Amino acid sequence: MATVLAGNGAAAWGFRLSRVQCYPYYPITPSTACSEQISRWVHDGAMEAVTINAESEHSAASQIIAAGKSVRAGTATSSKGLLYMIEVLENAAGGGVPCGLFLGNRATGAPINIWADNSDAYAMRDSGVIQIFAADGQETLDSIIQGYRIAENLRVRLPFAVNLRGFTGTHAYEGVEIPRPEEVNRYLPPFVSLHPLFAPEKPVTYGAMLSAYPYRRHKRNQMAALSNACEITLKAGQEFAEKFGRSYGHFEWIGDKKADLVVALLGESASAGEVATRHLQGKKGIPGVALLKIRLFSPFPAKEIAQALHRAGTKALVVLDEGLHHGGVLPPLAQRLTTAIQLYLGGKGPKVASVIGGLGGSEVRQEHFQLMFNLADNIAEGNPYRPEPYWLDIEEDPIFVERENQVSPKLWRKWGEVWKKQQRKEKFCSPIPPDTNEIRIYSRAGQGAITSAVGFTGAGIQNGYQLLTVPAFGSERRGAIITTDTLLNFHNERRIRSFMRAWDVVILYDDTILYSPEHQVLDGLKEGGALLVNTSHLSVKKIREILNVGQKKVRVLTVPAEAVSERLGLKHINMAMLGALHKVYDKVPFEPAQGYYEKNVPRPREKSLEAIRLGFSETSDREIQRTRKESRLTVSQEFRDWRPEDHSQESWPSALEEVQLG
Amino acid sequence: MKEKQQILVSLNRHKEFVVTGPFVEMRERQGSSGPEKREPTESDKGKFLHPPEILTIEEVAQKPIDGLDTPKVLNAMADIGPEARLFVYRPEGKVTRHEIFEDPRVCLEIQRGAVIENLREKPKDVSGWRTHDFFIDIKGCLGDECGRCAIVCPENAIHLMGKGKGSFHEIDPLACKGCFICWVECVRTAADCILVDGKTFDPGMRAKHFGE
Ligand code: SF4
Ligand code: SF4
Repeated sequence: MATVLAGNGAAAWGFRLSRVQCYPYYPITPSTACSEQISRWVHDGAMEAVTINAESEHSAASQIIAAGKSVRAGTATSSKGLLYMIEVLENAAGGGVPCGLFLGNRATGAPINIWADNSDAYAMRDSGVIQIFAADGQETLDSIIQGYRIAENLRVRLPFAVNLRGFTGTHAYEGVEIPRPEEVNRYLPPFVSLHPLFAPEKPVTYGAMLSAYPYRRHKRNQMAALSNACEITLKAGQEFAEKFGRSYGHFEWIGDKKADLVVALLGESASAGEVATRHLQGKKGIPGVALLKIRLFSPFPAKEIAQALHRAGTKALVVLDEGLHHGGVLPPLAQRLTTAIQLYLGGKGPKVASVIGGLGGSEVRQEHFQLMFNLADNIAEGNPYRPEPYWLDIEEDPIFVERENQVSPKLWRKWGEVWKKQQRKEKFCSPIPPDTNEIRIYSRAGQGAITSAVGFTGAGIQNGYQLLTVPAFGSERRGAIITTDTLLNFHNERRIRSFMRAWDVVILYDDTILYSPEHQVLDGLKEGGALLVNTSHLSVKKIREILNVGQKKVRVLTVPAEAVSERLGLKHINMAMLGALHKVYDKVPFEPAQGYYEKNVPRPREKSLEAIRLGFSETSDREIQRTRKESRLTVSQEFRDWRPEDHSQESWPSALEEVQLG
Repeated sequence: MKEKQQILVSLNRHKEFVVTGPFVEMRERQGSSGPEKREPTESDKGKFLHPPEILTIEEVAQKPIDGLDTPKVLNAMADIGPEARLFVYRPEGKVTRHEIFEDPRVCLEIQRGAVIENLREKPKDVSGWRTHDFFIDIKGCLGDECGRCAIVCPENAIHLMGKGKGSFHEIDPLACKGCFICWVECVRTAADCILVDGKTFDPGMRAKHFGE
C-alpha cells in the first residue's frame, strides 16, 4: 500500500533505497526536509551512511565529489545553494564522478523568492550533469534510483540531478509506493568505483592539470559520455518498468496520438496540463491535442522528440518555460526544442512559440493550458505570432487581447498586428467541470493543520482513493493565517494533481479567521458545500450572520475542538478537527479511517484517538449553548516555539519512520 | 657519543627501518619495537577499496581470466573495436562482476583524462613546469622495500633502480613537474631523502610551500 510522503520524503527514500553511503548537505528551502529525513535515519541506524553537515553548499558539493570517487554519494539542494555548487559540480562531470543530487527547484532571485521555478536547474544546464525532471513524489523516488543506475553505467559515469518543483512538488503529501529494498538491490547493484581513492593497488590522481592537447580531447569524450546517457536512460526506465511496473522514458506523451497542437513543458506543472488536455480532447472543432511532458532535459533527447512530433503530425508547438535564458533568443527548453526540430525535421516540423510562466511560485493553472492550446491552434491556422516569448500570466501583456485599450499604446504599437490576428476561442476556454473533491483548511501557523490533513490523506488512500495535500508556504510568522488544501480523486485509473479551487469543505481552525478582512472564507465554496468552524462561543446563526451567508446553500457546522483538546490535555486541536472533518465529509468513511489512525496517529496516541472520536461526535449544525464569552487563541509552548521551517509537526512520525518494509 | 636510534613508522609487515643520524638500516621486524605486527582484520577491509580492473582487448588476450569465457569476451570486445574495455571486479580473487563496454573516455592517441592512473602514465617532458629540481638521495632511499613515492607521483616520473639491498628510486628529471607530492609523502622525510634544489627537508620550506 502507498505511504503518505511529501516530495522531499520520497526523495529521501530514493537515496535510502539506493543505499547512498555518503550524504553531505547544507540545508536550503525547499529541499531541507529531504536532508533532515536522511540524517534522522542515519542517526537512528535505519540507514548505513555517513552524513556531513557541510559549512556551505560549495563544501557539500565538494564532499559528494570526493566521496563519489569511491562510494555512492548524494545530496539535496535548491536555488542559490545549487548555484553555489555549480562551480564544483563541473569537476564531478569532468572527472567522471557518478554522484546524485535532488533539487527542489526554486527561483534564484533577486528579488529574493523562496518559491518554485526552474531558474536553478536552468543555471546548471552547462555543467555536464544529467538532468531529470520528476512531476511528483513517486517519480522522484523512482528517478533517484534510476539516476544512480544511469550515472554509474560504465558508458556514462557522470553526476545526475533529479528535479522536483518546490512546494507543489517537494511539500505535497501524497501516496507513494516505496519499492521493497531487495528488489531495488536487484535493480541497482552495489557501487563499484572504476578509480577508487584509497586503493593502494591502483593509485590514481584526480583533477590533474592537462594542457590543450589532451584537454580538448578529454572534453570531447565527456560530451560523448553525456550523450550516451540518453540511450541508457531509456534502458534503465524500461528495466525499471519490468521490475516495478512503473515505466519511464525520455518524455511522456499525454493526449491524442495524432496531435496537431502540442504543449511542451518540464516537471510538475504538467499535472494541471493533463487535466486541461483531457478536457479538450475530443471536443467539437478541436483538433488532436497532446501534452509533451519532458523528463530528460540533459542530455536532451532531440532526435527522439523530433520523431515523436513528426509521428503525431504536430503543426504547432507551444513551449512553456518556467525560467529565463537571459539574453538568449528563446528560453532554454524552447531553444532546445527549436534546435531539435530544425535539425531533424527542418521546414517540415511544427512551428514553435515560446511562453514563459510559473515564475517565482506562480501557479500554472488549467486555464493557462487552455490558452496555450488556443495559441497553438491559431498558429496552426497560419496566423502570425510573436518571435519572442509570450508571458503566461502577466495581465498587462497577455497572450490574447480583446480590446486595444486593454494594453498600453506602446505595446499595442509593437504587437497590435499580431494581437489582431490572434483570436481567443471559446471552444478552448470552456470551463472545466470539477472532477475531484477538495477541502481547504484555514488555520494559524503552528496549530497543526498540516498534520491532520496528512492523516486524513493517509486514511483516504487506505480507502482506495487518490489524495493529495498541499500546504501553502510562505514567509508566514507563527500565528499567521495559512491554508492547507487536500484533493480527493475517486477515479483510480488516472492521477489528478491539480486543484480546481472549488471547495467541498472549508475548515476554520480558529473562529477569529472569520473576522480577517484578507480571507474571504466562502470564496470558492461549492453550492451545498460545508463550512466547519472550531468555536466555543459562536453559534451557527451568528457565523451565518458574520459571513453574510443568507439563503445561500451552504451548511455551517461548529465543533468545540479547543474545549475537547483542553479536556483531554492535548496541546493541539488538530486531532479533534480531524474527527470533525469526518463528520462533515463522509466520502472517507469514519469507521475504516479509525483503523488507520489507531496505527498511525501521533503521540500521545490514546488521547489523540479520543480527540478524533470526540471531534467527530461533537460536531453539529445545530444551535448549541456555548459557555465561553469570547474567542481566544490557545497559546501553548509548542505554539510559541514553532518556526516556519519546523517540520516536526507536519509529519506523521509513525507513518514515516515505522513503515515496515517487506 | 652514541647516536639516537629511531624506528620509522611503516606499513611493511616483515621489515623495519632503523634511523641512526643520517643512516638508515633495514632489519627483520622485531616483536615489540615499532608498530605491532598483525594480520589484516575485518575492520581493515573497509579501509582500502579494491579497485576493479579495466582491461583492453590485448590485455585480455594475453592473460585469460579465471571464471570468464575468454574467447566469448574477446569476440564481444572485437565487435566494439579498440574502445572496448572489460570491467572485471574480483575483490577476493573470484570474479563477482564483469561487463564489456565501450569506454567513451578512451582517447587512442593519449593516455590521459581527468583521472590519471599513476603507475600507467606514460612519462613525458613536463620539466618546463618545474621551478625546483627534485632528486632522491640514494643513500637514504629504502629502495624496493618502500616505493611510496613512485605510487604517488602523478607523472610516473619515479622509477626503481636495482633490486633488493642497494636498490633505490630515481626521479626522471624530464618527467618531473615539481609538484612536491613525493617530497611530502616520502616515508623518510625525517631522514632527508628527497632533496629539493639539493637542499634537505626543512620545516621552514614546508611551511613556506604550504602556507602553514
Ligand atoms: S615532484 Fe611530483 S612530479 Fe616530480 S617526482 Fe615528485 S611527485 Fe613526481
Ligand atoms: S624516496 Fe622515500 S618514498 Fe621513495 S622509495 Fe625512497 S624512501 Fe620510499
